[in-house]
Formats: sequence, C-alpha cells, structure tokens
Amino acid sequence: MHLCGGLSLYLRNGKVGVFDLTRDESSEQPLEEAVSWDTVSSVFVARSLAEEHGEDSLVLGTGLLTYSFVPAAAAGLARGPLDADGRERIMPILGFAGSELKLTGFDFLVLKGKAQVPGYLWVRDGIMELVRAPEMLETNSWQRTDRIRADQGDNEIHVISNGPWGDKGALRSQAIVDYWGGEDKVGIGADLGRKGLAAVAFRGMGELDVAEPEGHFEDAILLMREHIEKLGRNQGLASYTDVAKRDDFKQIVHRNVACYGCPFPCRSFAKVEEDPKEFRVLSKEPGYLHFDIPALEKAFEVGLDARSATKVLIMCAKAGAEPTSVLERMKSTGPPLEAVSAVLSDPSSDQAVAQIDSPPGNFERSFEDPEQYRICLGLGLCPRYWAKVGFDMKSIGSFAEATVGRTLAE
Amino acid sequence: MKLKIDPLKCICCGLCENACSLNRDSVLTPMSSSIILHIDDKADYFGLVLKTKGEGVVLAKPEGVTTAQQASGSGGTGAKPILLREPCDLCGGKPKCVEACPVQCICAEG
Repeated sequence: MHLCGGLSLYLRNGKVGVFDLTRDESSEQPLEEAVSWDTVSSVFVARSLAEEHGEDSLVLGTGLLTYSFVPAAAAGLARGPLDADGRERIMPILGFAGSELKLTGFDFLVLKGKAQVPGYLWVRDGIMELVRAPEMLETNSWQRTDRIRADQGDNEIHVISNGPWGDKGALRSQAIVDYWGGEDKVGIGADLGRKGLAAVAFRGMGELDVAEPEGHFEDAILLMREHIEKLGRNQGLASYTDVAKRDDFKQIVHRNVACYGCPFPCRSFAKVEEDPKEFRVLSKEPGYLHFDIPALEKAFEVGLDARSATKVLIMCAKAGAEPTSVLERMKSTGPPLEAVSAVLSDPSSDQAVAQIDSPPGNFERSFEDPEQYRICLGLGLCPRYWAKVGFDMKSIGSFAEATVGRTLAE
Repeated sequence: MKLKIDPLKCICCGLCENACSLNRDSVLTPMSSSIILHIDDKADYFGLVLKTKGEGVVLAKPEGVTTAQQASGSGGTGAKPILLREPCDLCGGKPKCVEACPVQCICAEG
C-alpha cells in the first residue's frame, strides 16, 4: 500500500517525478495529500506544481480516479505554461496513455528547463531517463512512436510526440498521442519542442490500491450497466456527432475503439489504404483513428469527402500540426488536399496559420460550462463520455470517497 | 464452464484485464491477469489472449479464435507476456471479466 505522511493513499502512487532537462537530473517529491474536492483535482495539482517549479514547466498528470473501474476513467492531462492572455493551457490525455502514465509509478511529472541535446524522456517503473536522440527531430510523429517502441522493445509503450511543427515551436502545433491527434488544441506540441524533447514515452507496470476492491468493482460495474442501458447501441464517433453519420464516413469505418474503461467509445478507425472490412494486418498504416470532432467538421466544411479528410488528418498528425487551423488556411490557398502538403512543409506557413483564431476545443466543448469540464477532467474522467451520460458531481463524489476510503471537504 | 470470446465484439477497453487482476491480487493493474489485450494500434488490430488450464493459450484474433500450446502464442512483444501468468481459474465460477465486459465479447458457457 502506498503511504503519504503515514496515511494510506488509495488510487495514488503518492509520488511526483521532477525532471530537470537542462541538468539531465531526476528527483522525486511526495504528492501532497488532498483534503478537499478542489485540491484533489489534477488540474489544481498541475497548477500548484507549475507554481512551485516555474511557470515554464510542462506538467503531466493523472486524476484521482484514472484507471479505476468508474466508467471512462481514462483521463490524464498535460498542462503547458499560461498563454499570452494568462489562460491555462490544458490538454486531456486519453486512449490508454492516461492510465499508462499512472501505472509508471508517478502521479505527476514535472518537466523543467530544456534538454541540451534533443531526445525523448523515457518513463517507466518509477524511473525517468532522458534518451539522447537528436536525429529524431528529422522524423515525423509516427516515426517517433515506431522508433521508441522498437528501441525499447515494447509495442505498448505510449508516446506523446510533437512532430516537426512542435519542434519549430509553431503556435498551431499539436502533440500527438501514439499516432493520433485530437486531444491537444492548446499547442502542447510546441512546449515539447521548446524543451528540446521529441517525445515523452511511458510504460506502466505498477499497481494501485483501492479502499474496498470488491465494493468498488461491483458499484462501478452496476453504474456502467445503467449507462449502457441509457445510451443504447454504440456507433462510435457517430454516437457523439452528426458529422460522423455521413454515408461516406460510415463506409470507411473499420472498428470502433474505446479508451481505457469506456463502454461507449467515440473513436472510429477509418481505413483509407485498404478494404475497411479487412480484419487481417495487411497494411501497417491502413488509416486513422477519428475522434477529433472539430477537425472532421472543418474538413467537411472546406469540401473534403471522408476519405480525403482522413488523409489530411494523417498528414497533420505526422507533422504534429493542428488540423482545424491547417484546414481553415486551405480556404484561401486553393484545392484543399493538394495544398495541405505545401502548408505542412513550408516553414513560413505557420505564421499564416497562426493568424487564424484558436481552434475550438475537442473534448473541451463537451460541456457548456468550462468549470464542469475541468472538474470532470480533474478527476481523471473522460469529459466527452460523462457529458453524454450526465455528470453529477454529488454521486461521483460519494462514489470516489468510498473508493479512496475517506471524506473530502467541499 | 469455459470462457468464450467473440473478438469482433471487443472494443479494446481493457476492463477485462483489470477485473482479472483485481480478483487475483485486490489491486488495479493489467500485469497479473490471465487475459490480456493484444493491440497493434496503428493497424487497428486488436483482440484478446487468454491463458487457460485446459486449452493452452486461446488467441482471440479479429480474423478468428485459435488455440496454441503454451510454448507459442506469447500475445505479441511487450512487457506483459501471457506465459508467465497464472491460468484462468474462472474466478471460482463467476468470471469477473465477463461481468466487466461492456459488450458481451467474453461470455461464460457450460
């Protein structure tokens, strides 16, 4: 059982990893025990860690409930320095990356300074290591994930990479989680680039205690069953947005894929390089995992069909570029698909893209009230799923308290 | 009783792994389960690998379900090889993976 200040710590490792990239030094500090619902939030903890270690720090972290059996408890987050208007920049980390991060043995990671030799941060088993790999800056985000998984010999390593746009510090860069874009709408990719990092990679083989294992499991599964009954048949992304109900999109969908613990997935994989009905591995890069609703909306708005939209999103993900901004730029540069390559490969194009208004959030817009979004994400729960089923802090709160075995102040 | 897996129903949520480990060790982890996800995410290829007492390793791949002797079928490269794990004990008659699976990909029969 993990202990913090002599108290049992459920669903937490009780540890913050701090990596000074400039000095190539790692250290640890205990995770302060939260006493209230405000301070238990990973959004709050990330903010506090940035204040403690310097606002230029990049903080990655997980929620109290991340990797629990609460439905869709998949979320971690990355927090970059405040933007020019003093607003917090927060990116949810979903898929299996959020839960994997928690299983590394750290609840939060603080990345300070800038690496003198570019490379990637490799985190596992309570260990953080800066792997020098300056040649990685010549590669795209997909190649980075492939390279790290090959180097470390594990196909289930999760990688947050920035791609060439992030390396340049481009305002409209996008951090890519494994191979897919959609979480980062705030330019965390550029934060990685400014820190001399091509990627952050992690693999979790740890374990987490829970106060009442059997009770937690039974209660969570009961809640999930109630949700499933209420939600009906899942159609992947089309269950969350009308844009994915188009015939040309439905025709290229291969399978729907969940994040950790989600019974009602919003991720639909579209195959554009082979038959969507093919279930064998024939092509290593057959398509793309769609869950970026604003990007898909924008692609259709500029006149792309589903197949072309998928190809554009692949190109943007490889470049580490935010696709909504790139597609908006297409409106003034000619035929969209042909122009994407030019925009992505032209270093000066970022300046033009940067003039475009900030893209709308993807998961952020699940809630009308941004505070609800932060509360949900801060607990480690997927905002999109919980907005769909109805986020009720009172019931989630009591559920969470039973799971961690103590009461938190309002 | 035995477990039956329909891999095309799988949505890759990972709840079966965690439920299995929780029943074994009363902790949350994917590392001690008898059932593991096998994922090639870039190709959108995923299924389940189950270590059983009687049938060896059940490989529930998208293209079909096969069994393998325990000398093969590691479930792919990775840090959670199936061969080092305990075989499924059906949780004493009430398999937790079946309870946790949201899409009836895993069922108990017999």
